Amino acid sequence: MSSASASPRVLSINDLSFVYGTGVGASSNENWAIKDLSLSINEGEIVSILGASGCGKSTLLNLIARLLVPSSGKIQLTHHSGTQKIGYIFQDDALFPWRTVEGNLMLAPTLSRDVSKESAEQRISQYLKTFHLDEDIRHKYPSELSGGMRQRVSIIQSLMFNPQLLLLDEPFSALDFYTKLRLESEFHELVKDQKKAAILVTHDIEEAVAISDRVFLMKKGGQLLHEFQINFGAERSPENVRGTQLFAEIYKEIWSKLQEVIGE
Amino acid sequence: MSGDGLTSNSQFASSNSRVCASRRWELLLYPVPLIVLVCVWHILTVGNPQRQFIFSSPEQVLSAFVRLSMSGELFRNAGVTIVEAICGFILGTVCGAFIGLALWYSHLIARIARPYITALATVPIFALAPIVIVWFGIGILSKIMLAFLSTVAVAIVQSYQGAMSVETRYLRFMQVVGASRSEIFRLVVVPSSLIWVINAMKLNIGLALLGAFIGEFISAEEGLGYMMVKASGLYDMATVIVGILALVTIALSLTAIIDQIERRLLRWKKDQV
Repeated sequence: MSSASASPRVLSINDLSFVYGTGVGASSNENWAIKDLSLSINEGEIVSILGASGCGKSTLLNLIARLLVPSSGKIQLTHHSGTQKIGYIFQDDALFPWRTVEGNLMLAPTLSRDVSKESAEQRISQYLKTFHLDEDIRHKYPSELSGGMRQRVSIIQSLMFNPQLLLLDEPFSALDFYTKLRLESEFHELVKDQKKAAILVTHDIEEAVAISDRVFLMKKGGQLLHEFQINFGAERSPENVRGTQLFAEIYKEIWSKLQEVIGE
Repeated sequence: MSGDGLTSNSQFASSNSRVCASRRWELLLYPVPLIVLVCVWHILTVGNPQRQFIFSSPEQVLSAFVRLSMSGELFRNAGVTIVEAICGFILGTVCGAFIGLALWYSHLIARIARPYITALATVPIFALAPIVIVWFGIGILSKIMLAFLSTVAVAIVQSYQGAMSVETRYLRFMQVVGASRSEIFRLVVVPSSLIWVINAMKLNIGLALLGAFIGEFISAEEGLGYMMVKASGLYDMATVIVGILALVTIALSLTAIIDQIERRLLRWKKDQV
């Protein structure tokens, strides 16, 4: 973890475990969803976790987001400059269909004392630009948007709360290839520019290699097995790195390890 | 991408105009069953006083309608029934929606309340009518209470179902951003249950009319039910049928009003083409 010293820590997880179904009669050895997991993430970093479905990837995100309570271990978010919240972006967006896009985005000042109405207004315009969305989208309802637009608005909805850490659960997997490429680039740029941190859970190796700084493989039972450092240099963008020799090599390496992990 | 949008739009437009053309045909077909019915009725009863006594006839119904309209009797009685039904309907829907949504707050209270609500929903309103009339008199109040009792259970059940079937992704989102329970209720549960509440309203229009009508039927001094009971006692079938037609007209008009309210409130629910 060479980059750890350079930028401040956002999240550290120590010996985290989580057991499903701890009720009476549950067998004690079979239900580990997460076991002795440690992980830390720094500002400006994107970390991807790859694994078969049901291996505990989403459980990890739910634990970090405090939707679940750990059985043991510690999850620590480093607070600074008042922004300590987590943004959680799901594959199925959480846009309220009865509110317009603007109504959805203005939930932040309604729900959070840290976000003023004026700054929210400004941020909406700024984010619409970042994600290449027109201003007139504000008055549309979610049902009037395409899949890619919805996912962009959904990301903005989370960003409106000004979170330091973004959790993404297969956010781009329902999109068509070109929309996905573009959204990955926009997202990568945003995390780097605004010095946020992100954990991306996916089963798409290409996506993980294209946008992350580090990739982990997760085994069934919630153990992180391999860590891959991905370094395409400072000028990387997810669109440019695809198709390069290095990309292919990293892909191959991860794929062969992943086959072992899934096979175990 | 924009090219794709254009072709699908124009395809949609052409299929849309086809739909419009077939709609126009459909509109012409709507009155056909009614015309057939009236013709058959006329043919079977014309020149046959015995049948006219039992079944009345289109001509007699028409003249009864004119007579009752001219004397103001029809509109006065219909007005009473409408006021009773609407007051009971509003009371039942508002109370029911309030109780049903509030039950979202406590699973325990919801579980305890369930058998009582089921009891209220299943007991025939006819069985309650005599008690309600003894308690609230033979005036308008007892009919409003009967309309209220026949609508409140549906409103409770529907709005509670609505509150419980809020999609988990919205609740999860609210939890992640640290919303309080009352914020979740106000910003998610209430708006997303609206569609269920409106469905309850659609069901309840008929039930409210039924409640008011049963009250009038048993004991009253005015209202369509009263008018019809009195007329059937005198074998005045034409007046009874005018009463039935008036009830149908009221029910259809009130349903149309609810449809308008629905369109206004659920503007966001566009066809997802």
